[in-house]
This record gives sequence, C-alpha cells and structure tokens, in this order.
Amino acid sequence: MASRQRRSWWKHFQLLLSEFYQAPYRGAIARAKRDEDDLFMLFVFAELMGVPNPATYYTLEMQPLLLERFHAWHKRMGMEHSPLDHFRCC
Amino acid sequence: MAAILKDLFEHHLIFVGGKGGVGKTTIASAIGLAAAKQGHSCLLVSTDPAHSLGDIFDMTIGERQTRLTENLWGLEIDPDAESTRHITSVKTQMKQLVHPRLYDEIDRQLDLASYSPGASEAALLERVADLMGDGGSGFDLVVFDTAPSGHTVRLLSLPEVMGAWTDGLLRHREKASRLDAVLKNLGGKTRKGDDLSLIDNTERHPTGSTVGTLDEILQKRRRKFIVARDKLLDATTTAFLLVLNPDKLSLLESQKVVTLLTRFKIMVSAVVVNRVLPDDADLQGSFLRARREQEQTYRRKIDTTFSQFPRIVVPLLQHDVCGIETLDSIGQRVINEWLGR
Repeated sequence: MASRQRRSWWKHFQLLLSEFYQAPYRGAIARAKRDEDDLFMLFVFAELMGVPNPATYYTLEMQPLLLERFHAWHKRMGMEHSPLDHFRCC
Repeated sequence: MAAILKDLFEHHLIFVGGKGGVGKTTIASAIGLAAAKQGHSCLLVSTDPAHSLGDIFDMTIGERQTRLTENLWGLEIDPDAESTRHITSVKTQMKQLVHPRLYDEIDRQLDLASYSPGASEAALLERVADLMGDGGSGFDLVVFDTAPSGHTVRLLSLPEVMGAWTDGLLRHREKASRLDAVLKNLGGKTRKGDDLSLIDNTERHPTGSTVGTLDEILQKRRRKFIVARDKLLDATTTAFLLVLNPDKLSLLESQKVVTLLTRFKIMVSAVVVNRVLPDDADLQGSFLRARREQEQTYRRKIDTTFSQFPRIVVPLLQHDVCGIETLDSIGQRVINEWLGR
C-alpha cells in the first residue's frame, strides 16, 4: 500500500518537475511559430489589400499552399468561413 | 579601326535606354545593323509596347525572332501574351496537384493574378532574363531597346525578393513541423486548425513530393534571375548606352537614370545625343537659329554633366528613319563617333 502511494507520489513529482523545466520554453516556441504565421499573413493580406508584392507573379505555384494556410489560420482564429470575399478556401 | 570596333561588339548584351521618344529604337537598330554587317549575329529585342521596331524595318516582327536582314534578327516582346502563357502553365501544373473541386477556385485566383498591375511587367522582366541567358545564347550580340532604369534595377533585386517569399513559405514548412514536434515534446498542444497535414503529409497528395517539385521549379526560376543579374553587373558582358535629346527634360531624366544605375554599380558605356541639328543645316531663319542656340546650351550642359562618359552625337535627319539604308548611315555615324571617343 505504502509502496503504491510512494509510486504515485513519485509520478506526480516527476510531472511537476517536467513542467518546471519545460514550461518556460513552451511560450517561446509557440511565439516563434506565431511569428512565422504572422509573416505569412502580412504577405497575403498585403497582396489582397493591393500592396504589390513583386514576388507574387513568380511564385504563383505556391497558391495552393497559401489557400491551405489561410484556411488553417481563419479556423484557428475561430472563423467558420473565410472572412475575405476573394479568398474562398472553403 | 576594326580593333576598337570590336570593343563595343565584344559585349554579349547591349541595353539601349532613355526616355520615351528620344530615338532608342533607332539607335538600337542602327547598332544591331552595324554589328550584323561586321559579321556578328545579332538579335534586336524590343520591349516597347508601342513596338516601333517593326515600323523602322517596315516589317511585321512577332514574338518569335524574325529575320530582318543578313545576320540580323528582331523580336518584339508582348508582355500580356507572356503573362497569359505563364499563368496558363501554372494553372495546369496546379490542377495536377489538387482535388478537382478546387479547379474553379484556381482559375479564379490565377485570372485575378493576370489582371494585377505588376503582372505584365513581371512577365516582361522574365522574358528579358530568358533572353539574357539561354534565349540569347545563339547570338553573338543581343541588343535590348528598353527603359534602362526601371527594368534593370528591378531585375537586380528580384532574386532576393523571390528568396524571401519562397524561403519564408517553403522552408517554413520544415521549420513549422519541427516547431510542432518540439511543442509536443514540451507537453504543449497544437490547437485544432493548426493541422496543415495535407501539406506536410505528402502521401495524401495525388502525386509524390509536392513541396519538393515546387521548390525545384521556384529555385530554377530564381537561378535565371541570378544569372541575369550577374551579367548585368559584369561590364565586359553588358554595355549600357543612354540616349537623350539636347533638351531639358531629356537631360534631367538622364541624370536621374545615371544616378540610379551608378547606385547599383552599373556602368554607362556611352551617352548618345540624338537628333542634334546638323552642322551643315541652313540656319538662316531666326527660328532655327534660336533652336540651335538652345541646343548648344544643352549640349554644353550634357558635356559637363556626363563628362565621365563618352558622348556620341547623332544628327537630326531630314526624313523619318525607315528602312535599312537610313539605319546604315546612322550606324556608321555611331561607330565613327565611338571610335573617336
């Protein structure tokens, strides 16, 4: 009985220890990921708002990727459908 | 004489630029003809939407190289046709990679791209880059009749701009999934909607590694611009001739062009002062004397402003430039002036 209690206490302790070491980094990584996304959003929105991006013409093949990412983004933001009229991903 | 002549024609590429209407096409054509007569195979490329190249040679010149005379070919770039071709090919490619329900959306998206203001300029630049590389390799000399500052400067920055965009998006794919993996290891959860597995998980694609092929295509295009840029910056490969008229606007515009080109380390090989009242013209009337005086003022200004460049003077002719004979005499004049510089 005592041994089982000890084991569960030990497991709990390990969990807390992991959190102690890893938690501070989670935020930084999540932020880094968000920054990458923001860059993407900047390009897409700039394009749609009429800010010319000279690279667009030469990278048209990437459009499907943009569509997918944009779709993931608006879903992540809690929007059921695409908020932009001319970017209809769903 | 032949040795110094080789100097100009030793280049593989010659850009003839200047404000609209100064006589770029005429000078470019004259130079091309002179080179052809020397035995060099020459391609004249017009990027001017008005396409006066055909008018000067009194021929129909299309998008494919057209023979003008011995050793001389001409080509008129049609940016809209280029743009349409590019977009059609991208559409075809994309449709092979996505579900058919997205076909209409692709058509819509890409048609929008063709209507955007930068599309035809981008298409033009790509064609120029082509002709600077493989497209022009079959000729001893390619002469571009084009606005020097706008296009060329843009060509210089294209590799970086493309790189930032493609790297930002494609390389990100690897980074994002690595970040995701790290996040999972740290006990964090990726939220619903972050699932971009359709892209990462290539087995679910109809064909093999999508991102891989995409990367190849984009890198190949980018390399084309890098090659073009290297040639632009190499003064032994590329020569720049700036054409102007002895008037105020021409002078001001040319100054700006030289400043811009110098900033990007592009050397102007010579300045061509075109349509100067000939020395032997009959200038009895007060009108023409006044014109001559004004011209002399500007010629002096040109001499001081562009003192570091050789200046080639081409006279105003009695008639329109049309046909090979007139071009021949202009070409001779340019060559003689080039020799005397």
